[in-house]
Amino acid sequence: MLSMSDISKVYRTDLIETHALRKFSLEVKEGEFVAVTGPSGSGKTTFLNIAGLLETFDTGTYKLDNEDVSRLSDDARSRIRNQKIGFIFQSFNLIPDLDLFDNVDVPLRYRGMSAAERKRRITESLELVGLASRIKHIPAQLSGGQQQRVAIARALAGSPRILFADEPTGNLDSLMARQVVDLLDDINRRGTTIVMVTHDTELARRAHRNVHVMDGQVTDLQSYTTKPLVRPEALAAG
Amino acid sequence: MAIRPILSAMLRNKTGAILVGLQIAITLAVVANAVFIIMQRVDKINRPSGIDSENLFFVQSYGYGPNYNHRDTVRHDLDLIRALPGVVAASVTNQIPLSGGGQATGYRTSAGSDTDVTGNVYNVDEHGVAAYGITLSAGRPFTEQEIQYDENVGSKFVPSIIITEALARDLFGESSPLGKNVYDNLGQSAVVVGVIGHMLGAWVDWDELDHVTLHPRIPDGPAVRYVVRAEPGRRDALMLEVEKRLSAADFSRAISWVRSHEYYTERSYRNDSRMVALLSVMIVLMVAVTALGIVGLASFHVNQRRKQIGTRRAVGARRVDIIRYFMLENWLLTTAGVLIGTILAFAFGQWLSSAYALPRLEPIYVVSGIILLWILGQLAVFVPARRAAAIPPAIATRTV
Amino acid sequence: MFSYHLRLALKSLRRNPVIAALMISAIALGVGMCITTLTVFRLMSGNPIEHRNDVLYAVTLDSWDPAEPKDDDHPELPPPELTWRDAMAMLESDIPSRQVVMHKTGFVVEPKDREDAKPFLVEARVTTSDFFPMFDVPFLYGGAWGDSADENPQFAVVLSKETNEKAFGGEDSVGRTIELDGREFKVVGVLDDWLPTPKFYDVNNGAFDKPEELFVPLSLTAELELPSHGNTNCWKDEPLDSFKEFLNSECVWVQSWVELPTPEKVEAFRAFIDNYVREQKKLGRFQRPLNNHLRQPDEWLSVNEVVRDDNRVLVGLAFMFLAVCLLNTIGLLLAKFLGAAPLVGLRRALGASRKAIFHQHLVEVGVIGLIGGLLGIVIAALGLLGVRQLYDNYDALTRMDLTMGLIAIGIAVLSGVLAGLYPTWRVCAISPAAHLKTQ
Repeated sequence: MLSMSDISKVYRTDLIETHALRKFSLEVKEGEFVAVTGPSGSGKTTFLNIAGLLETFDTGTYKLDNEDVSRLSDDARSRIRNQKIGFIFQSFNLIPDLDLFDNVDVPLRYRGMSAAERKRRITESLELVGLASRIKHIPAQLSGGQQQRVAIARALAGSPRILFADEPTGNLDSLMARQVVDLLDDINRRGTTIVMVTHDTELARRAHRNVHVMDGQVTDLQSYTTKPLVRPEALAAG
Repeated sequence: MAIRPILSAMLRNKTGAILVGLQIAITLAVVANAVFIIMQRVDKINRPSGIDSENLFFVQSYGYGPNYNHRDTVRHDLDLIRALPGVVAASVTNQIPLSGGGQATGYRTSAGSDTDVTGNVYNVDEHGVAAYGITLSAGRPFTEQEIQYDENVGSKFVPSIIITEALARDLFGESSPLGKNVYDNLGQSAVVVGVIGHMLGAWVDWDELDHVTLHPRIPDGPAVRYVVRAEPGRRDALMLEVEKRLSAADFSRAISWVRSHEYYTERSYRNDSRMVALLSVMIVLMVAVTALGIVGLASFHVNQRRKQIGTRRAVGARRVDIIRYFMLENWLLTTAGVLIGTILAFAFGQWLSSAYALPRLEPIYVVSGIILLWILGQLAVFVPARRAAAIPPAIATRTV
Repeated sequence: MFSYHLRLALKSLRRNPVIAALMISAIALGVGMCITTLTVFRLMSGNPIEHRNDVLYAVTLDSWDPAEPKDDDHPELPPPELTWRDAMAMLESDIPSRQVVMHKTGFVVEPKDREDAKPFLVEARVTTSDFFPMFDVPFLYGGAWGDSADENPQFAVVLSKETNEKAFGGEDSVGRTIELDGREFKVVGVLDDWLPTPKFYDVNNGAFDKPEELFVPLSLTAELELPSHGNTNCWKDEPLDSFKEFLNSECVWVQSWVELPTPEKVEAFRAFIDNYVREQKKLGRFQRPLNNHLRQPDEWLSVNEVVRDDNRVLVGLAFMFLAVCLLNTIGLLLAKFLGAAPLVGLRRALGASRKAIFHQHLVEVGVIGLIGGLLGIVIAALGLLGVRQLYDNYDALTRMDLTMGLIAIGIAVLSGVLAGLYPTWRVCAISPAAHLKTQ
């Protein structure tokens, strides 16, 4: 599903060069739920930005869904983000003056779908996160956990092949965090690959596999889970 | 407060600073030049005419047909007007001061001289000086005997003449013109019997407008104008009275153009007063737009920097420090703007003076403009700056 | 997508209503000011006889004082008018297909039917009959007098529509008589509305005055000793004791126009006038260098500087004003767009292409530009109403026609695009990853 080999990324300013990623390599199989952990400044966010096609990298190759996405145009990257990738952010990133319907609608709008199709998907995904009744509310009227569920609905509405989550529970209390993680787990069970960046080891334990990043490199691979590495039904689907 | 950190913050938001700076620069260039033009026009409109303008009115009589007798008509009309209560004096006149229509001719100091000085000619009778309310600085008004009256006076020159000091200077230099002869283009002479301190001619845009002469002559028919000087406050009533009385007399002529002198000056200066009005509107709007632009942009910057401002407050900045920061920032911006604006203003002024023969821009207008924009900028930025100062320090620790 | 972006644009404007109002009114004021000054300028600099520009020529001959030019500011120009005798000599030529020689005068009209009505003075033009067809003058009733009236004095008159209303209550007065200066004139024609702006055929006697109130044959000038009511300029030291001497003098006061339909005729007539002047030089006249001109209306209007410099200065200042307004709007838009950068980054992350972001903001800019532009046209209409107060009888200068309307829309659209392009471009450069981490 996701295959990165020897990716390097250097940030340059007038004074310093920061090697955010050095020869970073990672494989994520279809249907996996991977947690990427590491201390702040280790390169987690850079990894996520590159994996989610939000940023370009200097050297190395990156294949996403069997397609080499290393050197694509800005337009092509936009299209892949729109069709194959879903994002969940720490601070939810909902648009404050749009209601839930319109918020979930945002990625669908860039896809050229019919109005009926968009409406069906929005309602379905909001139902999935249990917020269909709040469809006309604006984000400020919801709790943090509800807002994050809307963000998840937005990510799911486009039926992405892979979901990237960046500290999805970072701004939530423990009860709401649990609900969100349960939801992600549920989504993964339905076949969507999830890559989650977090520094919370407790949360990381819920993933199938943990990848630890340190100084821009993967340091070790270890699984905290008793579940099988790859789910049989996901394999069949792939 | 240190200027360097403000400058470096401005440099990081170059585009915004450049936009406001350019706005201020262009505003200065336009306002300085526009106010300069306005002041010239106002001076022009308000220059003294040398006559009792506000109490004067004019009447035109236009004779026609075989029954028309110019001499009788003029005598009748003037007798009638002079007898009316409230009339100070009345005279015939061939032209109306500052009206845009008149007669000019060249004068020489010797017969057959090649160089002449142009003078704007008023043909008046012995009441002319009194009727216009002219002040003679030397000599005397015309006497009744001097007045030429002849339908076929043609090219004959007048025996005596009254001239303005400005014309006298051009003809005779600083020596007194009284008793000296001036010559017309046919070599005929007239003796200077009076000197007018100051009086204006017919054409507001003429650069020798104060070159005026009075000729003791009743103009040839069939058209004749009368200048009537009323006692203060009685002009308008007299205008109606005179029109009614003259129209009633059956002399085969049409009475028209019974108008106050104000009517003519207002009409002649209309181009200038229009320019003043339009430029004033433009200046006011431009200054308003620039001020609102400063308010708008500063408000945005305050919003953008809420967290930064809160942090400053958290580490001990007082409200007044925050206000001072924004005021100083604006002052730097305005100063940069007016520096460019000064160059622009003089360049624009240079272009105006070369392309449209306007006088060169005087620096005082640019200096006044700079001071105005400084004050304006400080006033405009004060509103958002106070809002910035109201940001609570606690915002620094808030995350979302 | 357009409707979606339109909805987003309106939402965005509502988010900061004060800023939106500021931007819109800045554009509106700038555009309004430009259109107002431009309208006046364009009408002043217009050519009402454009459609005949190719065939009409104003004739000028340099008969002025050998010692100095007529106009010190423009020494290269001959006097704008002709002497009576030179104008008469022009009429001798049969090269032009039509020819106008004319001057201004005045008459007293004596209303006959009403006892209480007082005699009134009218402005009149004394002209050859070609005036009407040559300058495309529209008739309501009747027509011009016959050619014979140009040769032999005839008391014929053409009234303006206004005069006809004053004297005959607007009826068809052709065939009736009107008393001018105590003489009976026969009405042969009544003009329809006619207001050439500027008054191209006689720009030296009030270029923005109305046309004369009535027209009579040129053959009457000498017959009735009709005085010149226009500018009369004399340079020569010569006695002017009688009308006859005046007609034979070097005073210039008569306007002359010719219609020359082909280049050959233009050349032939040019040769004719040059020849004429050379002949006159032999007689001791025309002592200045040969300086004769045939100028088409366009050139005639510009040579005579019909447009006041003030109007040019005002247009220039108005565009500088617009520049300030646009800079203002650019600054506000930029601050607004970049203030919303996190949302743009988010949309990019969710799959919006640069093109989509560009389109979204262009629609927003378009809405501001459109509202601002439309308001600007409204402001211009109000401005013109105000200017009309200042211009008094210059009504014609303050009307907005179709072309001006299109120019106005053009300025408005261009202003919106100019103000919006840079901020939109900047917003498209926002990286999708830039603002996602924290708000």
